[in-house]
Amino acid sequence: MNRFLIAIALVFTARFATAADAGAPSYNRDVRPILQEHCFTCHGPDSAARKADLRLDRRDDAIKAGAIDVTDADQSEMLVRILSDDPDEIMPPPKSKKKLSAHDKEVIRRWIAAGAAYEPHWSFIAPKRPSLPHVKNESWVKNPIDRFILEKLEAAGLEPAPEADRRTLARRLSLDLTGLPPAVEDVERFVNDAAPNAYEKLVDRLLASPRWGEHRGRYWLDAARYADTHGIHFDNFREMWSYRDRVFASFNQNMPFDQFTVEQLAGDLIPNATLEQKISSGFNRCNITTNEGGAIDEEYRVLYDRDRAETTAQVWLGMTAGCAVCHDHKYDPLSQREFYSFAAYFNNTTQNAMDGNIKDTPPVLFVPRPEDRPRWESIDGEIVAARAKVVERKMAARAEFDRWLAALKPNEFPAKIPTDSLAFHAPLSEGNGGQLKIEVEGKSRTIDLSAGTKWKPGKIADQAFVARPGVEVAIAEPGDFDTNQPFSHGVWIQIPKREITGSAYARMDERDDHRGWDLWIENGRVATHIIHKWPEKALKVIAREPLKPGEWTHILVVYDGSAKAQGVKIYYNGESKAVDYQVNALSETIRTKTPFKLAQRSEGSRLDDIALQDLRIYGRALKADEIQAIARTSIVAAIAAKPVDKRGDSEKNDLFAWWLATLDDSYKSADRRVNELTRERSEIESRGTKAHVMNERNEPAYAYVLYRGEYDKRRDKVEPGVPAVLPPMPADYPRNRLGLARWLVSGEHPLTARVTVNRFWQELFGSGIVRTTGDFGITGEAPSHPELLDYLAVDFRESGWDVKRFYKLMVMSATYRQSAAATAAKIEKDPANRLLSRGPRFRMDAEMIRDYALAVSGLLSPRIGGPSVKPYQPEGVWEAVAMPESNTRNYRRDHGESLYRRSVYTLWKRAAPPASMDVFNAPSREVCTVRRERTDTPLQALVTLNDEQYVEAARNLAQIALRQGGATNETKLDMIARRLLARSFSAEESRIALASFEQILAHYKNHIDDAKKLLETGESPRDGSLDPAEHAAWTMLCNELMNLDEVLNK
Amino acid sequence: MNPFEEYVRYETRRQFFGRTAGVAGTAALATLFGRDFLGGKPSRAETIPAPALHFPPKAKHVIYLHMVGGPPQMDLYDYKPKMNDWYDKDLPDSVRQGQRLTTMTSGQKRFPIAPSKYKFAQHGKSGMWVSELLPYTAKMVDDLCFVRSLQTEAINHEPAITYMQTGNQVTGRPCLGAWVSYGLGSINDNLPTFVVLVAKPSNTEQIQAISARLWSAGYLPGTHAGVSFRSGGDPILYINNPSGVSTDVRRNTLDGLRALNEINYKSVGDPETHTRIQQYELAFRMQASVPELTNVAGEPESTYKLYGDEARKPGTFAHSVLLARRLVERGVRFIQIYHNNWDTHSNVAGRLPSQCKDVDQPCYGLIQDLKSRGLYDETLVIWGGEFGRTIYSQGGLSHENYGRDHHPRCYTVWLAGGGSKAGHIHGETCDFSYNVVKDPVHIHNFHATLLRLLGFDNERFTYRYQGLDQKLTGVEPAKVIQEMMA
Repeated sequence: MNRFLIAIALVFTARFATAADAGAPSYNRDVRPILQEHCFTCHGPDSAARKADLRLDRRDDAIKAGAIDVTDADQSEMLVRILSDDPDEIMPPPKSKKKLSAHDKEVIRRWIAAGAAYEPHWSFIAPKRPSLPHVKNESWVKNPIDRFILEKLEAAGLEPAPEADRRTLARRLSLDLTGLPPAVEDVERFVNDAAPNAYEKLVDRLLASPRWGEHRGRYWLDAARYADTHGIHFDNFREMWSYRDRVFASFNQNMPFDQFTVEQLAGDLIPNATLEQKISSGFNRCNITTNEGGAIDEEYRVLYDRDRAETTAQVWLGMTAGCAVCHDHKYDPLSQREFYSFAAYFNNTTQNAMDGNIKDTPPVLFVPRPEDRPRWESIDGEIVAARAKVVERKMAARAEFDRWLAALKPNEFPAKIPTDSLAFHAPLSEGNGGQLKIEVEGKSRTIDLSAGTKWKPGKIADQAFVARPGVEVAIAEPGDFDTNQPFSHGVWIQIPKREITGSAYARMDERDDHRGWDLWIENGRVATHIIHKWPEKALKVIAREPLKPGEWTHILVVYDGSAKAQGVKIYYNGESKAVDYQVNALSETIRTKTPFKLAQRSEGSRLDDIALQDLRIYGRALKADEIQAIARTSIVAAIAAKPVDKRGDSEKNDLFAWWLATLDDSYKSADRRVNELTRERSEIESRGTKAHVMNERNEPAYAYVLYRGEYDKRRDKVEPGVPAVLPPMPADYPRNRLGLARWLVSGEHPLTARVTVNRFWQELFGSGIVRTTGDFGITGEAPSHPELLDYLAVDFRESGWDVKRFYKLMVMSATYRQSAAATAAKIEKDPANRLLSRGPRFRMDAEMIRDYALAVSGLLSPRIGGPSVKPYQPEGVWEAVAMPESNTRNYRRDHGESLYRRSVYTLWKRAAPPASMDVFNAPSREVCTVRRERTDTPLQALVTLNDEQYVEAARNLAQIALRQGGATNETKLDMIARRLLARSFSAEESRIALASFEQILAHYKNHIDDAKKLLETGESPRDGSLDPAEHAAWTMLCNELMNLDEVLNK
Repeated sequence: MNPFEEYVRYETRRQFFGRTAGVAGTAALATLFGRDFLGGKPSRAETIPAPALHFPPKAKHVIYLHMVGGPPQMDLYDYKPKMNDWYDKDLPDSVRQGQRLTTMTSGQKRFPIAPSKYKFAQHGKSGMWVSELLPYTAKMVDDLCFVRSLQTEAINHEPAITYMQTGNQVTGRPCLGAWVSYGLGSINDNLPTFVVLVAKPSNTEQIQAISARLWSAGYLPGTHAGVSFRSGGDPILYINNPSGVSTDVRRNTLDGLRALNEINYKSVGDPETHTRIQQYELAFRMQASVPELTNVAGEPESTYKLYGDEARKPGTFAHSVLLARRLVERGVRFIQIYHNNWDTHSNVAGRLPSQCKDVDQPCYGLIQDLKSRGLYDETLVIWGGEFGRTIYSQGGLSHENYGRDHHPRCYTVWLAGGGSKAGHIHGETCDFSYNVVKDPVHIHNFHATLLRLLGFDNERFTYRYQGLDQKLTGVEPAKVIQEMMA
């Protein structure tokens, strides 16, 4: 029996038991499955595979071709060929290995005889609210769902199961609505609640929990194929968790599903879109991307469009559009041309084909932390206003400056440069000769330079020192500081190109663990090392902004003696720059006997061809205004020293700028305001995250039909459009993703509401009313309860797409509340529980299993949202598959709270999904998944028995029982049972569990070292006052009980 | 009874007993590594028993040695002496014929010919030309079936490896190993049917990405996905008991667990509870059988003489092929070994010798070992990459060194054992090792031939998904290459 007949048997036996034997066969129910299996491959929608130019899937074509003759059924060529004995004539042809049964042939004959009425496929006909069925056992019915379910049960001669007890219901509801087991007190409160609406109160409480959004959102993330890496080749980190959090928030605020749809597919195109709506458009940015060297852009653009089209079709239409990539769909009325029209909606993005291996591939938006949001929204305006004030003051001050300039006495300038604690000064401006003037602790002297020293035009004096190979400048005294000594140092510098790395100057002994400090240039970025022993006892701070090659910049580095990277500041031209703390572990002394050297460390790391001027080292931390004075005054001092007629215009402007910044208080306060605001802005930026968003090009969207789906075999150019079998796009909708999204949730759409409620149903009941959740097409399975599906779809839509209301409807039903216990009769007549003759019971998803263990053991962190975390994982899982260049190659697990976050926050690397969840059928998130597999394997047993995090959870659960579980083993066990199962053990169960415990305890009493080893599992602290053997034995008992079938199943 | 029928009966019986997870009514449907039990009933997908064999099978096991990155065929097997006269001359347009290039060389102004710097000699009765880099392989050419004319359309690694493994350039289809697991099922109750080993090359300058998607089951039931044995740490994740937990303690907890689950089964009656009990027992058995498999301490010294001393180091290619032999001995169907770093865009001279050294003696050792243990005839060994490399140099060219870009139009692979034709050289390329001039073999046809050796007709070896009878060899009919079969 083929699967359609099985499905039909299930669906229609009751009502139409005799329909196939008497009266006219129905096309959808009786005839199409036969034609589908035997005829449509060659005589169906696929134009490329069509034989004899005959199609039987459309009535007019079949009649025109003579295949069907409604006036005389027996003259129908179709029937003649089907009934033929001649191997050259008979259909299907013998070489197809398909054969019609006598019954099938008879059905076709009677159908033609009755007029050969065709029907569109059921799912393409818009659902109508069906009338509610009458049932015998009216008293069982709690809401309309139950009528549809009971009708079929009664027809099958089955009774519904009795309502589950309150403890079971509390657990089931909590798991279904929040993804977490119920707290013991919540169970007791519900069990003892005498109110008639106690159950409904519990439902409402759970629906209001913020855990609801995380749990519902998790299913959506599978469909959206959300993950934290790009997927292909390097599989580098992708920072888009703001999308994940946005999904959770959308469910928590119970956003109507039509609005949700529009935001997910076209949040960026909504007029005056909010930041949140744009973040939601990240749905279409979750696809896998590449940056493989040698990859061809167009090939990947086509793949991305295809993935987006297939995902959208799967999630909203329940259609397997992928079949139409290469040819017309074999069965569903979706031509290849229509597929590319559909894909054209997504073929209009400004996104590059190559992801650049960066975490924030454009188009992206900045997302501030929620608490920064108000400032972020106002700060740009404030900056503009503050800048305007600066300009305003500048205009107004010019006359004042000119008066000042006229009266200027040049020798006043050097006095403005701080000399307090100036430990070392080298002007580096000699410009010739074999000697350098230096000043050490206020005392001048000269040192000899080797031959070959070069000079070039400088910034604050005519000549500047140029570092050249072979020219070594070593001075014994400067910079001999210790770790707790604040100091500052700086220099005017010009680098020849960005790609240079080395020390501009250093007092650092490379042969002695790099002890000392330096001014370091790394690919143009300024950094400093302060080191006792590299890298274990050292710090390294590096500015994010590189120097501009060929331009003079004044650098100053301040260290406050705190041994912390946070105590280091780097200034360019007197302005503090954003830095990264690359190493932050300094301790012990940094003193070294090696001399201070220019353009190198003790041995190497030379920086040749850099130019230096005015090098200063201070034995204290300079203040910001002092640093500005050095940076600015040193320039103007040089200008002012020139005769008036030798000062150029640009020099005068430099002087004016200095005057404003140094002497003009109004200007200074205006300028300070700009600086404060820009610093605040950059701090908000460094705290926030990015959102990957969609961004449409300005021109209208289009795509090409691709011959056999190959990117370089373009055929016709097509405009965006929706498949003809579905309702047309209203004329006033825009021809872009926004129009597409609105069309999907428009009133008469036959698929979106059905497909959506079916997916929701699947989450609670284990499988959908249509079991093939992603395929509502002709080859998908027929619904087990078609009228129920239509009822739910219409009800959902007419409720305003109210998601929480819909779940409440499901869980309030008597159907949902049934006990899961099966009887022999039920196993016999309803083996897969398709008729819902009992309550849902199935193994939980990977995330729920892990969250369950964390929750019952008290380890679970309540924190919601934020960057993804890296909990326990065996070594080598990433390393085994990642490329050396990948930045997600080395799994460095987190510590503390991050080990115990909900599983939805675990960092998801597509090439190697979280190992323990992968084993439990968590998808790789490379492609859209609307139905996870649910297998039962020995590898799963190994996870929950042996994985460090499950053993740690058992240890913590044992500790709770030992500390709070009362005096006896029985009371301790009872506490464990209530936390794990929401119920107490029976006497028999207790006896088995305690017997297990006694044996294990005896073992650990004799093997106390083993007990201690076991108790070292996991990072969480252990109560050292507990007896190790006892604690170990309870740990292993908890480990045993946490593996109960009842625990692993919902 | 003829041998074919006998074999089918035997295998059917093995599958029945071997796969029975002890669940009433679904016995013949369960496979070793789990079953879909949505709603408590196997989905239709799983109710399809393993497809019957269509032909008497030659091979019962496969060891697939995938050289990730694409070995340069003209430096190893595809001898092109005329190229010496073409040194640093441009590849003629008449040869290139508008072939699309990766963006790594499409910007190159010239395509200068780089003749192989390695010496070649003819070996064996077959007279196969082999490079001096492969002295061990040269000794066994008469055991091997060379295909010098394999062809793909992919020019980048991700799609090309995916194509080679799954018959499609786009990720998401089942790989060859998964198809074999689906088709042949398990003959060992304590080990997976399809095992993957990722070997570590001694040089890692040009590693390519290898991920679990390459051994995924695609649309086949997840039970057919490869189980990756790790070279470091536990061979299977979580196989070891927690620290401080002895086998006795574990047994004790499992006994308690089983008794409690039985009580639960009595009150709830879910057949899956029984399946779970069985899977926990199998997990316990695997905790013994997997370490036994990977513990090579009992191997005699002669093993290391045969495979080379590198076989002592876990994670090497040599160690991996030794494990592959042990897996075949224990009835594992399909062993996929990946050896990386063959992507010689530059520095062929610096890298190719160590790549060859990594694999040459171990391959020889494996084949001799299989022979001496009587496993050779029933084990098909496959060696090869995902595409070939260009005769023209990528980047700088000298007589001593050069680089080679990806090349899809021809590359060389070999088969051994398992019913492949020993000493056969199939296909021929032009003087530039650029175009196939005789007997091209497309990937689909290559796959069809492998399936035939395993007893399957590629056109009938199908799995229903998205309404189509999906095949490893794709929509268009594929051809079995009879000449490659003994």
